[in-house]
Amino acid sequence: MSNLTYGQVTKDIIRPLFKPSLLHGLALVTAIACLSVGAYCWKLQLEQGLGVAGYEPPVMWGVYITTFVFWVGIGHAGTLISAILFLFRARWRTGVYRASEAMTIFAVLTAGLFPILHAGRCWYAYWLFPYPNQRQLWPNFKSPLVWDVFAISTYLTISAIFFYIGLIPDMAATRDKVKGFGKRVYGALCLGWRGTDNQWRHYMAAYGFFAALCTPLVISVHSVVSWDFAMSSTPGWHSTIFPPYFVAGAIFSGCAMVLTLLIPMRSLFKWEDYLTIWHFERLAQLCLLTGAILTYAYATEYFIAWYSDNPYEWGTFIYRPTGDYAWAFWLMVSCNCIFPLALWFKKVRTSLKWLFIISLIINVGMWFERFNIIATSLAHMFDPGAWVYYLPNRIEMGILVGSFGWFFMWFLLFVKVMPSVAIAEIKEGVRPPLKADEVTT
Amino acid sequence: MSANVKGVFAHLDCLLTGIDRLEKAGFKDMIVAAPLPRHEIEEAIYKGEPSPVRWWTLCGGILGGSLGFILSSLTALDWPMAIPGGKPLVAIPPYIVIVFECTVLFGGIATLLGMLYYCRIPTKSMELEVCDPRFSDDHFGLVLKDVDESRREEAATILSGAGAIEVTPQPEGDAADEPTEDKEVADVE
Repeated sequence: MSNLTYGQVTKDIIRPLFKPSLLHGLALVTAIACLSVGAYCWKLQLEQGLGVAGYEPPVMWGVYITTFVFWVGIGHAGTLISAILFLFRARWRTGVYRASEAMTIFAVLTAGLFPILHAGRCWYAYWLFPYPNQRQLWPNFKSPLVWDVFAISTYLTISAIFFYIGLIPDMAATRDKVKGFGKRVYGALCLGWRGTDNQWRHYMAAYGFFAALCTPLVISVHSVVSWDFAMSSTPGWHSTIFPPYFVAGAIFSGCAMVLTLLIPMRSLFKWEDYLTIWHFERLAQLCLLTGAILTYAYATEYFIAWYSDNPYEWGTFIYRPTGDYAWAFWLMVSCNCIFPLALWFKKVRTSLKWLFIISLIINVGMWFERFNIIATSLAHMFDPGAWVYYLPNRIEMGILVGSFGWFFMWFLLFVKVMPSVAIAEIKEGVRPPLKADEVTT
Repeated sequence: MSANVKGVFAHLDCLLTGIDRLEKAGFKDMIVAAPLPRHEIEEAIYKGEPSPVRWWTLCGGILGGSLGFILSSLTALDWPMAIPGGKPLVAIPPYIVIVFECTVLFGGIATLLGMLYYCRIPTKSMELEVCDPRFSDDHFGLVLKDVDESRREEAATILSGAGAIEVTPQPEGDAADEPTEDKEVADVE
């Protein structure tokens, strides 16, 4: 990055905007097709009721809640990279943070759909929020489900603001590079930003505070999501290790998704100077670290279950690797604990092809982790007479596919209309133009 | 009659020299535009004085946290259910989650409002004197506002002497000297 100039940075990052490309177009069409499948399945569910969703009592949380937790988790890496690594002054975040943050917003937006889908009568979703009403009822603030509503809404709002203020100077740079209608649109979106000393001063202060607010927020959000499970007395869920275990898993899956998104984007937009192997290696190391924490958490869960001497708890933990869902359990263990071990080798960490493959494996593994937690515990609770074997049906799978379509559609649209690498921050990493340098050379 | 004097800089060290010399010459009302935040510029102009946005964040956070606690407790008291086992209606541990989330939400929104207020955005007409597409790309701008006619020539000469590649209005006789020969050129890391 040292050979770049400010002008080159602006030009390179704005260049791919609006330029149609075949590969991007195909990806977008595929995403919209997947979304249509999901939309059709939802239409059927709205017409016929939640019964079509394949729930089988007592498994009343299935693919929808699995996918909800999966997408919330994906979002976490974006905030980790944009906020936590900002506070730690990690230089490598600069190249990757904008795309990761966009991933966060779209992942949380996707996650937010699932409680609504899961609630069945989605037109009553607003009942979740506290407001004075003629029924004189308020939500129960002691319930983790209400905490979750607060946590997810706050997370989406604050991440969206943080993301938008990060974009303001870059939208101003885009405004100054494009012509016609685009100039007016970016001019309005950047709110009239001019990059004056006064503006930068307050902007940087606010940015720092947002990073400081987002840091505990991101940890709290997945902790609250984990309490949706851990606050109940269901065997396999009722454990104090859940919050740190969920947070580590969230960052693990999110980093994998960042790799999945950035590796194709790098070659599509020819951003080899901005997204270097060095960036990808750092992400791979983060995957390795969080994957190790996750493996340790899996082991600790077993220790706690055994040490608790609770037959129901231990029964669930024996059921997971040996019962009906053994395939899901071993898929989870191999995808999350075994395959990522390849990242210990520098050759793998610096090979984009291998990183991409491992990132896909981790994505699959992390979805199955949540499925494994939810389905096995509910299908095998206290009463053996009520044990069932739940598997998702076509409607649920259609909506799962639709959620990927929804997420990728927004992401693909975003990368074509907004600078996906932070222009101003990349410039901060470039040596400033100095007269003294010119004289020396 | 007073008017603006504008200098365009291609180099950061020249800009810092310009700010320094203008301040020493007694020019106060200046706007510097840059494509990126540079601590040297902030330090040269504000001398380390922190932005007041922090007070907005603090007040927003305190307000949000208080509202979160008031909302959860008053609604619990509004419909007092008899809970067996002596559990309190207003329970602190579960409400901490609501208090925390509201603290962050209100703190964040207040920070945004504070930033918008002090940056004076959104606007259509603000600081038109620094409207120059180069300032979001690879140049720095320095505008002295409302300079008296008698001092305009002096300001333009200082800017030009510091190494500005373009000065409006142009100084008479083009008094630009090589800034690097001057020992005052600012050090930039």
